[in-house]
Amino acid sequence: MDTIFFLFQQMMFFSIPLLIVALGGMFSERSGVVNIALEGIMVMGAFASIFFLNKTQSFMSGQGQLLLAILIAAAAGLIFAFFHAYAAISLRSDQTISGTALNMFAPAFAVYMARTLQANGVQQIPFTNTFFIQKVPGLGDIPLLGPLLFQNCYITTYVGLVILAVAAFVLYKTKFGLRLRACGEHPQAADSVGVNVYKIRYAGVLISGALAGLGGLVFVVPTSTSFNATVAGYGFLALAVLIFGQWKPLRILLSALFFGLMKTIAAAYSGIPGLQNLPISSDVYKMIPYIATLIVLAFTSAKSQAPRASGVPYDKSTR
Amino acid sequence: MDYVIEMIGITKDFPGIRANDDITLRLIRGEIHALLGENGAGKSTLMSVLFGLYQPDAGEIRKNGAPIQIKNPNDANAAGIGMVHQHFKLVHNMTVLENIILGVETVKRGVLKMDEARKKVVALSERYGLRIDPDAKIEDTTVGMQQRVEILKMLYRDNEVLIFDEPTAVLTPQEIEELMHIMRGLAAEGKSILFISHKLAEIKELADRCTVLRKGKCVGTVDVGPITKEELSEMMVGRKVNFSIEKDRAKPGEPVLTLEHVSMRSRLHHKLLLDDVSFSVRRGEIVTIAGIDGNGQSELVYAISGLGAIDSGRILMRGEDISKASIRRRNDMKISHIPEDRHKHGLVLDFTLSENLVLKSYQTGEYQNHGFIRFGQVEKHADELIRRFDIRSGQGGATIARSMSGGNQQKAIVAREISLEPDLLIAVQPTRGLDVGAIEYIHKQLVAARDRGCAVLLISLELDEVKSLSDEIFVIFEGRIVAQLDPEAASIQEIGLYMAGSKRGSAS
Amino acid sequence: MKKQGLRNASASLIAILAGLLAGFVILLVTKPESALQGLGIILKGGFNNGMKGLGQVLYLATPLIMTGLSVGFAFKTGLFNIGAPGQLMVGGAVSVWVGCTWKFLPGGVHWVMALLMGMLAGGAWGLVPGFFKAMLNVNEVISSIMMNYIGMYGINFLIRGSAVFDSTKNQTKNVLAGAVIPKGGLDKVFYNLTGNYVDVSSVNAGILIAIFLAIVMYILLNKTTFGYELRACGFNKSAARYAGISEKRTIMLSMVLAGALAGTAGALMYLAPSSGMHIHVAEVLSAEGFNGIPVALLGLSNPIGIIFSALFIAYISVGGSYLQSLKYMQEVIDIIIAMVIYFSAFSLLVRDLIVKVGKRRAQRSAGGEGA
Repeated sequence: MDTIFFLFQQMMFFSIPLLIVALGGMFSERSGVVNIALEGIMVMGAFASIFFLNKTQSFMSGQGQLLLAILIAAAAGLIFAFFHAYAAISLRSDQTISGTALNMFAPAFAVYMARTLQANGVQQIPFTNTFFIQKVPGLGDIPLLGPLLFQNCYITTYVGLVILAVAAFVLYKTKFGLRLRACGEHPQAADSVGVNVYKIRYAGVLISGALAGLGGLVFVVPTSTSFNATVAGYGFLALAVLIFGQWKPLRILLSALFFGLMKTIAAAYSGIPGLQNLPISSDVYKMIPYIATLIVLAFTSAKSQAPRASGVPYDKSTR
Repeated sequence: MDYVIEMIGITKDFPGIRANDDITLRLIRGEIHALLGENGAGKSTLMSVLFGLYQPDAGEIRKNGAPIQIKNPNDANAAGIGMVHQHFKLVHNMTVLENIILGVETVKRGVLKMDEARKKVVALSERYGLRIDPDAKIEDTTVGMQQRVEILKMLYRDNEVLIFDEPTAVLTPQEIEELMHIMRGLAAEGKSILFISHKLAEIKELADRCTVLRKGKCVGTVDVGPITKEELSEMMVGRKVNFSIEKDRAKPGEPVLTLEHVSMRSRLHHKLLLDDVSFSVRRGEIVTIAGIDGNGQSELVYAISGLGAIDSGRILMRGEDISKASIRRRNDMKISHIPEDRHKHGLVLDFTLSENLVLKSYQTGEYQNHGFIRFGQVEKHADELIRRFDIRSGQGGATIARSMSGGNQQKAIVAREISLEPDLLIAVQPTRGLDVGAIEYIHKQLVAARDRGCAVLLISLELDEVKSLSDEIFVIFEGRIVAQLDPEAASIQEIGLYMAGSKRGSAS
Repeated sequence: MKKQGLRNASASLIAILAGLLAGFVILLVTKPESALQGLGIILKGGFNNGMKGLGQVLYLATPLIMTGLSVGFAFKTGLFNIGAPGQLMVGGAVSVWVGCTWKFLPGGVHWVMALLMGMLAGGAWGLVPGFFKAMLNVNEVISSIMMNYIGMYGINFLIRGSAVFDSTKNQTKNVLAGAVIPKGGLDKVFYNLTGNYVDVSSVNAGILIAIFLAIVMYILLNKTTFGYELRACGFNKSAARYAGISEKRTIMLSMVLAGALAGTAGALMYLAPSSGMHIHVAEVLSAEGFNGIPVALLGLSNPIGIIFSALFIAYISVGGSYLQSLKYMQEVIDIIIAMVIYFSAFSLLVRDLIVKVGKRRAQRSAGGEGA
């Protein structure tokens, strides 16, 4: 039983960032803009926020510091995503190329800045993790739910779940969400009733930037002690989660949990009785999430129904 | 005169073309006013200017005598102007209600409040007799209901001036009757209606007055009552139009294409797109499949050409079963296909004209040698076709197809397909969007192919074209062949009734 | 048509200039007093170190030409081959393995076989996303990225467990002498002489092989029926289907070829004399693989253009390695390359805009044909 709790807690560290980033991708794609730059945006968000943690850890710590870091990560992601939005929406350029440019820029920038700004010219940015919550007072004692969700965790888990709830509500119950969905399926229809397609799409991409930036921080904090200018392909895993979740919030949660589980097995197999004795190299375990993604995509892509106008730049002059 | 809307001296340019040239149009309050013109005359552009989708380069718009600025659809709405477009602007996976309120949602601090909206919509629907289901997803509704949703969009916004762009293009004759009834009702309630059409009969029946456009210019505005269809038509094209085509009697030979009990099911809805279709096309005859767009014609052509797969039945070409044959195999069996969508299937727009003209024959021994393209032969072929079929292009064979005009692109496709000297020629709406000269030319080519012994299968929506070109007419309705008619004996009304499903005959 | 080519090249030029400008700004912000000098070093590129430097440019350009061809070839077919790093790794690993273990092959043949096997391995790796896309409609970007990671971890795993692993240095053993790509006489051209010391560049016959393959690709794409089918699919797959071209077959063949080209990059890298000859085990996705993307974009997916854009990227990369003397980090070159990609995404549009305005002016004065 303890193993299950342990696995679940670990799973949260991997699933929540996937969830947050995939939800960001959802807003972008549902507004009509493909955003494969999630990987690069995660790196930028992580870089900015972890650099902040590193520089302030001598006089700041705890959840307050983490919350500030969260804001910085989201802001950095939002600003960085602006470049993709500008290229894709205002200049109507190829969204895959623009996204790739951002993906290549971010790690190069992070390494350059880290080596330039850090005294020893090293590219890793270490940080002290003072945010681990062993047990939430009160909630952590609830049988079953306590150990699953309220022990050995971070507040980022709850931030992620709140984001999920808010995202689902915004998408389906608000005026903005209705207009966003219209822009991703049939921008001409939205335009003809006076919706500003360009503004909505900018909003979609910027939201995806903020969430992906935040996701970068949420990914690094529980899983390492320093940031090394990479998020190990997580941004792309989030894209797979998005497709597997068919661009719907609840299904995205389920697929994020699934992939998080795969990642957990890969990283924490030494903690699983039975598995640790098998003569399987750690390299093989590391391959599992990627192989699982391929298999899942193989089975689900045939009937995949992306937002219809996603990836097609909107040009007002085409009626 | 009580003009609710005046468009004075409107000019609108696009790169390379003057779509509207100093056009003046005045709309009387409470009238039904038709806007007539051929494809490309500028009707849609003019209405898009009125609706705020485009800004005019010159001229002004007045409402109730006072000048107004319409910079976008919101301004148009504020001025009480609404528009139903030819291609409906509805989001397929949102509900009827959501589509109606999109853009004018009732909210409380950002959150949607649907109840009030629902009440208003239902009330409007009852008042004007517009049957709808507010909670149905658009993708599950009929074309007729979708149009009613578009009308409700306008009424919900309290629009007084209603613009309809080719409203009857996608309706069955039954739905057209309903629509006319609705439009008369709206006019009676004081709404002013502008509708774009190229169908003379409808204009005569529905409109009070009509403005005729030709090549971007206004030819005149007339009272519809006293004028004849022939006079209207002459205003539209500028010369007396010959409605009939000269051709000899057909001398049909043995069957070339035979369909036996062919059925095709939709992958998305499990609807039957083709329902037990059986017919033959013989050498030396033109067989036309008549029907309203969306009744299975496209699927039928996909089935024969191989672009789509059938679920049951057989397709035979000169007696050989090709039901499962690849597209390449069918092309090799001398089936030519002038496709419905020239940009999607007919041409690779980024290829040159020469490359497009060998699109189906590049792999033959004539144009390649051990895998290497014989460019000399390709150029020779292109030059010959350009000469024979009078294809206009900027740089001859080296022209990039994208830069050619629509009419010449179509000529290139017709040239390629006919010059392959097929046994079966499938032509799908080959004259859509073309000017009268090009239309006459293509009709001549089809008849010539027939006289050379080709079996021609024509898919057309234009009843005049159907009647005058065909040697035999099959009418398709909801995927079934519902009638087999002799073009000389059947009247347009009769064909129309079959097309609408109002009459069921036996098809052999 | 010639005018078109020139206009396209100008689009790439705009992107390059914009990228360099952005890099300059970064230098300026980091250490303003040396910025101009730094830009100078970058622009001097290979010339920073005489003939040897130029030789290094050719040496670095070798894999870039191949990965650029790989990505560019896929682009022409309408596919985005972001899996070049994985294909490169797999191709390189297989070629090293053949180079270390197939002792029975005589000298001149051994390296050719190793190269060919690397090519085949890369092709097989490229087939996976091709198959998935053609038959199962899986987005090739994501499947290729997955294959990158599977390739990286997989190769590491196989090397660690194999006979050719040298655990003390955490790399494979060196390939046998017969499996090393010959210098092709280039070592007699690209070297610096300082006193009695001959400082030879690492350039070898690989660059000649790469250029040769680029020419082969050009012919394949533009002069053969296969190339015709590929381009038709890339431009308009509906029309290609209508013409009887099998879209599935074309996608798969294209990805196999793209994979083979990237695999060749790996083989040329790891079978090279001096700095090649072995693979280091690390968890890093090949930068040469990813840099195939800007090479292809700048070269407009034209094999001949790719030769030049690869040379350009190699040129500034060599320049970047000399920035350390000014205390700048050489990652600024990667930033420049990323900016070049970004600008190339819409420099074509800028160019199109200029063309459209020009056309409109011409048509107004001539009274041109309507749409």
